[in-house]
Amino acid sequence: MNLAQVLNGLALGALLMILSSGLALIYGLRGVMNFSHGALYMLGAYLAYEVTSQGLSFWLALILAPLGLAIVGAALELGFFRRLQRRSHIEVGLVTFGIALVIDRLIVIVWGDNTLPVRAPKAVDGTTNVFGTDYPTYRLLMIVVAIAMAAALVLWLRNSRVGLHIRAASHDTETSGILGINVDRVSLVVVMLGGALAGLAGTLAAPYFSVSPGMGQSILITVLIVVVVGGIGSVGGAMAAALLLGLVQIMGNVWLPSVAVLVPYALLIVVLLWRPTGLAGKRV
Amino acid sequence: MTPLLEIDDIYASYGGALVLDGVSLSVDEGETVGLIGRNGAGKSTTLLSIYGVPTVRGEIRVSGKALGKRQYEPASRGVSLVPQGKRIYPNLTVEENIMLGRASGRKGAWTVARLKELFPNLARASGRPGNQLSGGEQQMLAIARALMAEPQVLLLDEPTEGLAPVIIDELIDALRVIQEAGTALVLVEQHIRMVQQLATRFVALGKGRVVTQGAVGDLETRAVQQLVAL
Repeated sequence: MNLAQVLNGLALGALLMILSSGLALIYGLRGVMNFSHGALYMLGAYLAYEVTSQGLSFWLALILAPLGLAIVGAALELGFFRRLQRRSHIEVGLVTFGIALVIDRLIVIVWGDNTLPVRAPKAVDGTTNVFGTDYPTYRLLMIVVAIAMAAALVLWLRNSRVGLHIRAASHDTETSGILGINVDRVSLVVVMLGGALAGLAGTLAAPYFSVSPGMGQSILITVLIVVVVGGIGSVGGAMAAALLLGLVQIMGNVWLPSVAVLVPYALLIVVLLWRPTGLAGKRV
Repeated sequence: MTPLLEIDDIYASYGGALVLDGVSLSVDEGETVGLIGRNGAGKSTTLLSIYGVPTVRGEIRVSGKALGKRQYEPASRGVSLVPQGKRIYPNLTVEENIMLGRASGRKGAWTVARLKELFPNLARASGRPGNQLSGGEQQMLAIARALMAEPQVLLLDEPTEGLAPVIIDELIDALRVIQEAGTALVLVEQHIRMVQQLATRFVALGKGRVVTQGAVGDLETRAVQQLVAL
C-alpha cells in the first residue's frame, strides 16, 4: 500500500469521523439512533450544490450548509426527539427512518434524481506534493478540516460549561436534571451540532463523490458501524473507529477488491468479538 | 413566617400503585427535619417528588411560591438533593462532579476550595474520576456537589447507607458545619442516632402517609418507636 492509498483511507476516515461524532453525540444524550443522519448529510451536499450553482463560493457553502442543517437539527429535536423522549428506542428509531425517507423524497422533488457536480474551489483543486507523492489538495483539506473539527469538539466538551453538562447528561439524564441542568436545552445544542456536523460532512463530500440521491443511505450503514465499533455514544471512540475503518476499507479495496464491500462488516464482527462494547466501551 | 419548603398534600404512584397518599411536610429556614419510616414508607419518593419523579398531584412551594414541573427548577430555587446511591458521575473527575452543582445558577459562599476544606479527602482525590473513590468519598462528593448549588435547603437521602461508623462521624461533623452556615436540612435516615444528633423535629411516614411527627426527643418514647418501628 502506498502513501496515496493511506491518504485516501484518511480522507474517507475524515468524512466518517465528522459524521459519526455527531451521531454518537445525539445517541449519547437522547438515546436515539438517528437513522436520518445520512439524509442530513445528503441534504448538506445538496445545499452545497445549490450555493455553488448560484455562483457563490464553495467556502460560503462550507458555512451555510452546516448552519442550515443546524436549523433542521433544531426542528428534529423540537418536533420529534423531545416529544418522543419517553418512547422506546425502536419507536424513535422508526420515526427517524421515516424522516430520512421524507428528506430523500423532497430532495428528488427539488433537485431531481441526476448526479450533480460540485467543483472544489480553485485554491484546492490541484495536487500537493506529500513526501514525493502528488496528492489531490482537496482531499488533504478534508483531512485537515476533520482533524481540526475533532480537536475543537474534544476541547469544547472537556473545557466548557456546556461540554461538562453534555458529558453529565449523556451519562445520567435524571440526576443532571435534579442538579439543575436544563437537559432539554443541552439536547437542543447537541442535536443542532449533530446536524451541523452532518452538513459539514455533506459539503466536504460534495466535490469528492458528486451529489446524488442515495448518497445518504449508502454512507449511513458505514457510519452506524463506526458508532458501534467505537462504543455506542462515545465521541472519542467514534472518531478513532472512523479513521480505522477508513484505512481498513482502503486496504480492502487494494488487496481484496472483490470482497471490499464486506470490510466494514468484517471489522464490526472482529471488534465486537474482541470488545463487545466497542473500542471505547467498558469491557464486559 | 412562610416556610422555606412546603410539600402540601401530595399523591404519587408508580405503575398504578399509590406510594404517596396525601403527604404534607414543611421545613423552616435553617431547621433540620428527620424524615423516618420503614423501607417502602415513601421517604425517598417524597424527596424525589419535588423533582417530578414520579409525577405528583398536590403542590410543592419554595418560600411560598409554587414549583413548576421542570426538573431543573428546584435547584435554581435553592433546593438541592443528595440522592440515595450517591449518583456520582463515574466518567467525570471529582472537581468536574463538584462543578456540576453550579448548574443551579445560584451564587453564594461555597467554593471548590471551601468544599475541599470541609472534605479533605476530596482535596486529595481532586483529579480522580468518580468511579475510583471509596463509598465514603463518593458520599462526601455528592454532598459537596449539592452544596455547590448554594441551597437554602439540602435534602439528604440515606447519606449513611453502607458507610463505616468512622466515616459516619466525619459526615455528622460536616453536616453540623452546613447547619451552622444556615442551611436547612431534610434528613432521610434509617440510622436513627444520626437523626437524634442533628434534627430538631421528625416526621414519620408509613405506607405513604404521615403517621406521626414531633420533636426529636419524642423518638425516645415507646409509643413513637412502635409506631415507626425503629
